[in-house]
Amino acid sequence: MGRYLIKRVLLAIVSIFIVSAITFFVMNAIPGGPFNKEKATSAEAQRILEERYNLDKPIGEQYVLWIKNLAHGDWGVSLHNGRDIWSEITSRFAVSARLGGMAALVAIVLGLILGSIAALTRNRWPDRSIVFFTTLGTAMPSFVLATLLLLIFCLKLGWLPVWSSSSPNYVLPIIALSVYPMAYITRLTKTSMLDSLGQDYVRTAKAKGVPGWKVIFKHALRNALIPVVTYVGPMVAYILTGSMVVENIFTIGGLGSTFVTSITNRDYTLIMAVTLFLAILMVIANLLTDIAYKLIDPRITFE
Amino acid sequence: MKKKLVAVLLAASMAFGLTACGNKDDSANNAANNAGNNTNVENTEAAGGSDAAEGTEAGAGAENAGGSALNSDTGILYINLASEPDYLDPALNSSVDGGCLAVNSFAGLYTYDSTGALIPQLATDMPEVSEDGTVYTVKLKESQWSNGDPLTAQDFVYSWNRVINPDTTADYAYLFDVIARNGDALAVETPDDYTMVITLNSPCPYFNDLMAFPTFFPVHQASVEAADTEVPGTWAQEAGFVCNGAYTLESWNHDESMVYVKNPNYYDAENVTMDELHFMLSADDTAIYAAYNAGDLDYIDTVPTDEISSLNGVNPEFGILDNLGTYYVGFNVNDPLFDGKTVEEAAKMRQAMNLLIDRQFIVENVGQSGQVAADSFVPLGMADGNGGEFKQADTSYYDAQSTGALMVEDAKALFEEAGYSFTDNGDGTYAIDPAINMTYLTNDGSGHIAAAESMQQDFAVLGINMEIKSEDWNVFLENRKNGNFTIAREGWLADYNDPINMLELFTSDSGNNDMQLGKGSGESAPDWSDYDALIKEIRNTTDFAARVDLLHQAEDMLMETGAVIPLYYYNDIYMQKPNVDGIYATVFGMKYFMYATKN
Repeated sequence: MGRYLIKRVLLAIVSIFIVSAITFFVMNAIPGGPFNKEKATSAEAQRILEERYNLDKPIGEQYVLWIKNLAHGDWGVSLHNGRDIWSEITSRFAVSARLGGMAALVAIVLGLILGSIAALTRNRWPDRSIVFFTTLGTAMPSFVLATLLLLIFCLKLGWLPVWSSSSPNYVLPIIALSVYPMAYITRLTKTSMLDSLGQDYVRTAKAKGVPGWKVIFKHALRNALIPVVTYVGPMVAYILTGSMVVENIFTIGGLGSTFVTSITNRDYTLIMAVTLFLAILMVIANLLTDIAYKLIDPRITFE
Repeated sequence: MKKKLVAVLLAASMAFGLTACGNKDDSANNAANNAGNNTNVENTEAAGGSDAAEGTEAGAGAENAGGSALNSDTGILYINLASEPDYLDPALNSSVDGGCLAVNSFAGLYTYDSTGALIPQLATDMPEVSEDGTVYTVKLKESQWSNGDPLTAQDFVYSWNRVINPDTTADYAYLFDVIARNGDALAVETPDDYTMVITLNSPCPYFNDLMAFPTFFPVHQASVEAADTEVPGTWAQEAGFVCNGAYTLESWNHDESMVYVKNPNYYDAENVTMDELHFMLSADDTAIYAAYNAGDLDYIDTVPTDEISSLNGVNPEFGILDNLGTYYVGFNVNDPLFDGKTVEEAAKMRQAMNLLIDRQFIVENVGQSGQVAADSFVPLGMADGNGGEFKQADTSYYDAQSTGALMVEDAKALFEEAGYSFTDNGDGTYAIDPAINMTYLTNDGSGHIAAAESMQQDFAVLGINMEIKSEDWNVFLENRKNGNFTIAREGWLADYNDPINMLELFTSDSGNNDMQLGKGSGESAPDWSDYDALIKEIRNTTDFAARVDLLHQAEDMLMETGAVIPLYYYNDIYMQKPNVDGIYATVFGMKYFMYATKN
């Protein structure tokens, strides 16, 4: 296990390094630049800005400089507005993670419960209605759902504000973010739960007189979790980094919209930082997923 | 292991994948944020992105039978202007929305009242101007910064010199070009703490207006020097910075909200009627419009494009403000389309296409908010720098009401003079020989594309084939600036009230001369040295009456090339709750909220 982890971490570092290189060179290859404005920046200002941010140097040298600064913990400043990248990213991530964390929790808990219920009541009305709603949930894009929620709860019913400077509403964005993963987890849980309920060890447990709830939670659900965990790892990483659509509709200053605006602004330092951040998060999520496999199913080995 | 690597690489590639789907919203975002001009108009036009705008108004009346919902906080005004501002430092801001924040939280020497008249702000009176018009003496009131420090003439001198320092890289530094220099510094003397003596290079009819422009507002030297160690503007990137205007920024949740509270040290604090301004930071017009209808906002200046026609003239909360600016189309004069033509022939081709455009259709069906079809480049209502209005009834270049179908014959004649021939298709359309195929360059945005489609049909009457290419905002700006286009959408909102602000765009050395006038060596491109000389003469002339004539000459020269095709003059829409009163705006798009009342 220890050796495996070291190997994984080293590989992760290599992957992240490769991601950074690809992002850096592709980002510089796409047309446009960080200082393009409708009212043109003067040639002199353009020159000073390029010099300040090392954009006047050959592209390879720029990359080496960037890596060097990063090694010293310096993420640089935004080319667009001069804000410190590290504090920008961490404050945005705090917002996205709080929102995404709650949404992921809701999705996992409800998904497992609904999935189990559906499996246990197969082809009866609870199962039928759960299948109906999960199909709806997976089919509806988040922006449609978000707008619908806005229309019903903010405008028709007036229960929640669309926007508030004092008490931002997190209920609707959490629903908008969690419905799809919840529906997906429900379906995964149901399928694999049905599969494990038919297994010999479940029958054995029942035959031995193990109580019904224990059969379900200890024997069936636990084994049904593996496909769910495979999905949940990357899903959590994805949801934590924010969704541009949901953030825009509910006016939330998270990482998702920052990511997209950084690209349209060609804010090179910010693009690099957000991509790297996302890549690290993905790598960690995948690593945790693998460790979770092992914890759930001792038969899985890392060799 | 390979799978993991692929997953990580996919994460990276998302960065680029996302540009494709993020474009629509972001061009709006961008236009609002960093386009120095016409942001408001861009905002409404470009943000057609959100598909689910319909229905939001259905719930509007649910709470309040008489109209949309109102909120009852009479001391707080809830506003949306745009998304996150890039800079609150008035020296570095170059957006109209940022300018609105600046006029409410900073004070300059002069400002505008609700009638649009220039009035003293920190100055005691209008400036005393020397006989030759080059020396301005301004007396200052005694006033304070928000932290209680005294504000003196030296603060202005420091702030102005900071703007022109190349390391500040201020976009609007060129506005200070009218002031003479002592070496690297501006020729501004301070005989005492409350007197400024400003020497200009030559008489400038709009210098008083400049002194009311946010770039000329003072900044607090100690704060700036303490925070701006690495990059300029850092001192005003978080709430709590020192300013001298009606409001100070109390809190700022990035991309969510800003809370401005009344500044007790503001020189005119006793007359400030609104206690707090709360800004929603969003460019998503569906969300903004929903927040307005739900009563969470009192004032917005963008609505979903689809809603404009159902609001304009129907809902009394919907209003229109005049702006000084022109939405236009430009030709790249060095484009291969004009190869082999003489200067005159190329100009005739462009003028012919100008006549084919049905402006009234575009105004009514695309603009939709009562814009005036343009028949000149300098916008309607602009001052002439000599006490009058520049645009008069007899200074139109064509009849803007009847361009389009009524002028097909005139356009055809011009094309024939340029060496083209036509065959009648028998259905009112013609085939042109040799064929003309060109591409129209625009940024994403339903309004821009709809206008382009309208022109596409107008041109097709004479058999001209125009394709429409819409690009991501950033790429669009780059291609347009570098002349990588034949015909492109353009727009300019004036920064100050003088025609030179519109006409100087086209000097050979201007960074905004997208039409590439004077920049190429093509035989069909007009010789532009006369225009450059004329603009120079206008800048140096001391006789303001003669200056008006020279300005008209410059506009004539520009319009003669046909490179610039004005479509309409900009205006700006807004919605305001019926219980709110006293908000006013200038023709430059600056909005003043401090004297507003709410009941």
